[in-house]
Amino acid sequence: MSTVRFEGIARHFGPVRALLPTDLDIPQGEFLTLLGPSGSGKTTLLNICAGYLEPSAGRLIVDGRDVTAAPPRLRNMGMVFQNYALFPHMTVAENVAYGLKVRNVPRAELSRRVDEALRLVRLEGYGGRAIRQLSGGQQQRVALARAMVIEPAILLMDEPLGALDRQLRKEVQLEIRRLHLARPRTSIYVTHDQEEALVMSDRIAVMRGGRIVQIGSGADLYERPVDTFVARFLGESNLIEGRVEAIADGRARLAVPGLSAPIEGRAAAGLAVGAVASALIRPEAIRAAAGGIEAGVIERVYLGEIVALRLRLDGGHEVWSRRFAGEVPAGDRIAIGWDAGAVSILPPAEAV
Amino acid sequence: MSGRVWLYGFVALTAAYLVLPIMAVVPAAFSAQSFIKLPPDAWSLRWWTAFAADASWRRTLVTSLQVAGLTTVVAALAGTAAALGIDRCGPRLKLLFGALFLGPVVTPVIVIAVALYAMARAAGLVGTLTALVLAHTMLALPYVVLNVGVSLGGLDRRLLLAAAGLGAGPWRIFRTVTLPLIAPGVIGGAVFAFVTSFDEVVLSIFLSGPTVKTLPVRIWEEIRVEYTPLVAVAATIMLTLALLAALVSRLMTKRAAT
Repeated sequence: MSTVRFEGIARHFGPVRALLPTDLDIPQGEFLTLLGPSGSGKTTLLNICAGYLEPSAGRLIVDGRDVTAAPPRLRNMGMVFQNYALFPHMTVAENVAYGLKVRNVPRAELSRRVDEALRLVRLEGYGGRAIRQLSGGQQQRVALARAMVIEPAILLMDEPLGALDRQLRKEVQLEIRRLHLARPRTSIYVTHDQEEALVMSDRIAVMRGGRIVQIGSGADLYERPVDTFVARFLGESNLIEGRVEAIADGRARLAVPGLSAPIEGRAAAGLAVGAVASALIRPEAIRAAAGGIEAGVIERVYLGEIVALRLRLDGGHEVWSRRFAGEVPAGDRIAIGWDAGAVSILPPAEAV
Repeated sequence: MSGRVWLYGFVALTAAYLVLPIMAVVPAAFSAQSFIKLPPDAWSLRWWTAFAADASWRRTLVTSLQVAGLTTVVAALAGTAAALGIDRCGPRLKLLFGALFLGPVVTPVIVIAVALYAMARAAGLVGTLTALVLAHTMLALPYVVLNVGVSLGGLDRRLLLAAAGLGAGPWRIFRTVTLPLIAPGVIGGAVFAFVTSFDEVVLSIFLSGPTVKTLPVRIWEEIRVEYTPLVAVAATIMLTLALLAALVSRLMTKRAAT
């Protein structure tokens, strides 16, 4: 378990700047997720941490030691690859034992630790199997066991659940979370899946265009996104564009063409009066309200305990509302409202 | 339906065309007569006994095996190393080296023979095992480089990263990950090398001497003097060894793949 510190770490591939100078501190035992679309620089950052990629600039400090130039094998990091990268010519146990053999762990201890690692990922008794004989989920867990058994200073995971189906992904997410809580270990997890990020992380760094746009807990990002990009990336969002009318005491008022009343909400940083901005209203904040804004129901989507409604406001704007099935009004027209406390006024995402 | 019959018939004819003339030497080797006639009027092992009793025939077989064995080792080692080196080059160097290593395959063998003969003479190596091994290695090396190159092309590079991340140094990664995974290519290349050397005749004619002579050269010399079933025996031995080599390669690659 270790602290990790990226100091001005950057990387370009020829003229392409994959990662702009980035500072990032990860305290001991934290599970940090790098969340972003492809090309956002998240995997680049991870590979630099693992030592698979040299940064063009900056320093990487692990436990106060500069490891920027250290080769991967001297970094003591456990990596779980996207498609697992298990050694196909070795059994499950041989795969897990690989890092221990490299470390010359005595035989008895080695087999004890391999067994324990397999037990931890619920693959007891699978040691003798060939990798081919395992399902995707099982292979994923072998990869996890192989990375963890060496007691790495840092555990790195590169979209490890990408190849699994949805149900399995959920299970393994909780499994990884459980393992982390049982034994907190500094971990960096790369994904483009917001749900994964929310389930597992202590903190999430949202990346875009080679830089970290926002970093914070899941709740921070969901409730107080810094711009429309983060708002869109985490959770469902209704964004209504307008112009900032006034900013005062951390709150802003947004004039929206077609709406009779301005929308008021928490002001994000970087707003300016007169500038274009968007109001973020999460679908779960939109509810029926007598005397509210009139809207027509265009679409009803049944999602089990939740029903989503697509609404067209009289001004022409469309929003989604998500309510428990019991709370959804019938009829083609409803009046809606929302808490001003649930609204954020956000600047547009910077062009990439 | 009749279309299918025609198809099978055509395949059978093609197969017969390819295989029958070669297989014809086998019955000839078991003839009881002192000349080659197909099929032989009577069967015997007398020519096999004659082959075994003749020290000069035996010596050429041993020489052939020695040359082919050494060629295989040298070509497999050097070819694997070369393939690994080429694999690390940039795309342009890769193309250049790829073409260079294919050189001996596309150059007419007689040209190589003339060139090598001149050099071997200058170095005083004509008629030595060294000359034969060096010359055969030249022909065999490209097959190893090609085969290993194909294996390397299919190698998942993240496995090497994974091994490095688990703490393995370059040599250990090579020994425990790279080599086992490219083994089919190395074995395939080695078998090719063995067969290439074992039935090579042009370079061998130029570079053999009175004491060091390979089996194909001896067959060639023998056939110009007299055409006895002894030659068929030698040919059958060569055929058997070549088939064996192919079988071994097949089995080994199959095992490596599972």
